[in-house]
Amino acid sequence: MAGDLNAETAAYAPQGDDVSCGVGDHGGAMEATGDVRAEFWQDIPDAPDDAELNELRKLLLRREQIALEKLVRQEGEKNYHIQQVSDVIAEAIIARSGRDSQLRMAIEPIVDATLKNSIRKRQQDFVNVLFPLMGPTIRKSIAESFRSMLGAFSKSVEMAFSWKGLRWRFDAWRTGQSFNEIVMLHSLVYRVERVFFIHGDTGLVLAHMEGEGVGSLDAEMVSAMLTAIQDFVRDCFAKGDEGALDTLRMGEFSIFIEKSNKAYLACIVRGTPHDSFRTHLRETLELMLVEFAEDLDDFSGDTEAFSATERYLESCLVAHYAGDNEKKLPLWAKFMPVLVVLLLCGGTGYYWYTTDRFNTTMREAVQTLRLEPGLVVSHVERQKSGPWKVLALKDALARLPEDVLRRAGFDPSLFEIQTIPYLSYDASIVTKRASTGIDVPDGVEMTFDKGTLSFRGTATMAWILETREKARSLAGVEHVDMRDLRDPRMGEIAEMVRKIESVRVEFPVNKDVPVPEDTEKLQKTVDMLAVLEKRVKEMGMVMTLTIYGHADATGTEKRNYEISQARARTVAAMLYARGSSMPIAMYGMGADHASGDGGAGSASADRKAGGSVQADRRIEFRVYLARAVPAGTEALLQ
Amino acid sequence: MISKKICLLGAFSVGKTSLVEQFVHSIFSDKYLTTLGVKISKKDVAVDSVAVTLVLWDMEGKDTYADVNLAYLRGAMGYLVVVDGMRKETLQAAMDLHHLAEKLSGKSLPFYFLINKADLVDQWEVTDAMLDSLDKKSIKFFRTSAKTGQYVNEAFNALARDMLLASRA
Ligand SMILES: Nc1nc2c(ncn2[C@@H]2O[C@H](COP(=O)(O)OP(=O)(O)O)[C@@H](O)[C@H]2O)c(=O)[nH]1
Ligand SMILES: [Mg+2]
Repeated sequence: MAGDLNAETAAYAPQGDDVSCGVGDHGGAMEATGDVRAEFWQDIPDAPDDAELNELRKLLLRREQIALEKLVRQEGEKNYHIQQVSDVIAEAIIARSGRDSQLRMAIEPIVDATLKNSIRKRQQDFVNVLFPLMGPTIRKSIAESFRSMLGAFSKSVEMAFSWKGLRWRFDAWRTGQSFNEIVMLHSLVYRVERVFFIHGDTGLVLAHMEGEGVGSLDAEMVSAMLTAIQDFVRDCFAKGDEGALDTLRMGEFSIFIEKSNKAYLACIVRGTPHDSFRTHLRETLELMLVEFAEDLDDFSGDTEAFSATERYLESCLVAHYAGDNEKKLPLWAKFMPVLVVLLLCGGTGYYWYTTDRFNTTMREAVQTLRLEPGLVVSHVERQKSGPWKVLALKDALARLPEDVLRRAGFDPSLFEIQTIPYLSYDASIVTKRASTGIDVPDGVEMTFDKGTLSFRGTATMAWILETREKARSLAGVEHVDMRDLRDPRMGEIAEMVRKIESVRVEFPVNKDVPVPEDTEKLQKTVDMLAVLEKRVKEMGMVMTLTIYGHADATGTEKRNYEISQARARTVAAMLYARGSSMPIAMYGMGADHASGDGGAGSASADRKAGGSVQADRRIEFRVYLARAVPAGTEALLQ
Repeated sequence: MISKKICLLGAFSVGKTSLVEQFVHSIFSDKYLTTLGVKISKKDVAVDSVAVTLVLWDMEGKDTYADVNLAYLRGAMGYLVVVDGMRKETLQAAMDLHHLAEKLSGKSLPFYFLINKADLVDQWEVTDAMLDSLDKKSIKFFRTSAKTGQYVNEAFNALARDMLLASRA
């Protein structure tokens, strides 16, 4: 049988791919067919070996016999193809999905449908698996959406018809504030992102915890730095004084420190926490001090005992969103505001709006303050005599309210203005914040419009990356658009990548060292890769290299994989020997059937004849570039 | 996990920062150090197969050791006193700092003297006789070089081991 013959030949061909073993294209297929046939006849009893009977069988059942044989062959071929595909499917998927997105596009609808189907069928299973994962995610996305709401006040319109909205409208009317201001005050969001429990004397971190989706920081370093900063502040400003540093602020973030003589809690908070948060911190710390009193006294560097502080730390990782405090109200209460509004409109309201000239001037002055970007008047108290009291939120970059009044021709002494620091999302303030926070080099233009901070021009990649991070952490900036920002060196890099990817280095039969004509080409490519790696690193990026090794169609499959892999490995070794530190993925692709399709000329003819083709025995490169992410900042870059 | 705070003491320019740099590649930039007067680095080491995180506080003085902010010494579990072998006055400064550290911590902490710049030993002012007197006071020391790395790892590891023993005792 041809199949048996082929199997033997294969076994006697230890030289590998490049040794022609003289078997045609279908040799493999027949081998597989042979196996299937044997299997097929296994359970069927032998027919009596009678010449006449055989003759009769031939005469009677010839058509059926042929049909049967055909069926068996088809089955065998199918099995053979399954075998073939299963050998390479994983590598093929990897290789293809690195090249383009077609595979993904092809599979997507199938996966989609399958997933939907099995979710429908086994809903409970999915719920059980997903529930623990979904809770935090949902919480996170709620946090996100409320955060963006803070930035976009236009959303407040949506509140207009809810009960809360009505109440806020009433509040706005009552206090003379704009509706938007009320919405903002009520929507203030904060979130505790990290909490550290730090030993007082040594500044060593005893335990720490991060909130959902917060990237990790080097806790030891942070806690030591915090301790150093406190020592420093105490030394510089509060010599001998009891006063301790309790809050540090930077942009949208603040660090809340709750101290005792033995240990302290430090929380990194985004936004402005509620007053009650400070109280909660203090209470938590007190409880911890009681529970861990001995461990704290005996502390000599071993943090084991403090892993039990987990539940305390967890309780500090709070987040607060607008609407958290909504209580269920009885039905009658819902009609109260309407009633009150009617009453006020009819009676007291009239009195409130009868004004004298003085009051009008005063109100105009307050209005001037309201219109000032970065200032939010939150409370106005008229005095019978003496200055009106004004409480306002003020961004650090906003003008002083007194100056604003003076410039508009009002007498600032008629007001007693108290300000509370806050972060304004007003476009002009965000613009100011961006231009003070970001050092824009020549050749770059920065603009801010509708929450998007855009950059155009040319700059170094290092600057681009650094600025991207910085820009994203600026309060009020929702999107950073850097599509029109280029590093001119990028062109050179793209050119090098193109060159490298077009290089083909060929190999002699059954060797993993290139043919002499290509040795120099390979050396040059390796040089170029080294230069590219350096350039890429200089630009604050990382590269990964994939080397695909190929073999020609002759020889056993196993050997073909081995030799093609060895070829890829040789080149990787050359790169590492030159001190390269980039990640290199190596794929042995085995015999390359695809490249022969449609090829004309002798190569294709050779291949058809099962011959060895030098053009098939080669390696190829693919280069992938990515931005380098400094450790611990992944979350910031998302 | 076990962490230990270590302080580096010594006169100006004896090589404290260089020694730390040699031992660990620090990630916080020098910006912090000029404003705060301290530079903090971290290194994980294994002492007899126990993992220990060393948090190194490199204290910065501008002219003399006198303006080193000794508040940073608080809570140290061990320290290294660095001497510039080429300037004998830094040995006196080292002795003073060592006594100060003992007084401030109120107990005797593990410590070592590092007589640094050993790569330039032919230009040393610190003589063998002076080092013998350290021996007599049973002050242990290493002749280090931040430049060549000589005895740098050994010194930090020896201190780490002493600290670990001290905390077990
Ligand atoms: N030759 C030599 N120079 C050193 C050595 N250690 C430090 N230096 C040099 O001494 C100077 C002061 O070092 P620095 O680490 O800043 O001292 P610090 O003030 O104690 O932190 C620098 O110029 C260093 O290059 C050493 O072991 N050998
Ligand atoms: Mg220094």
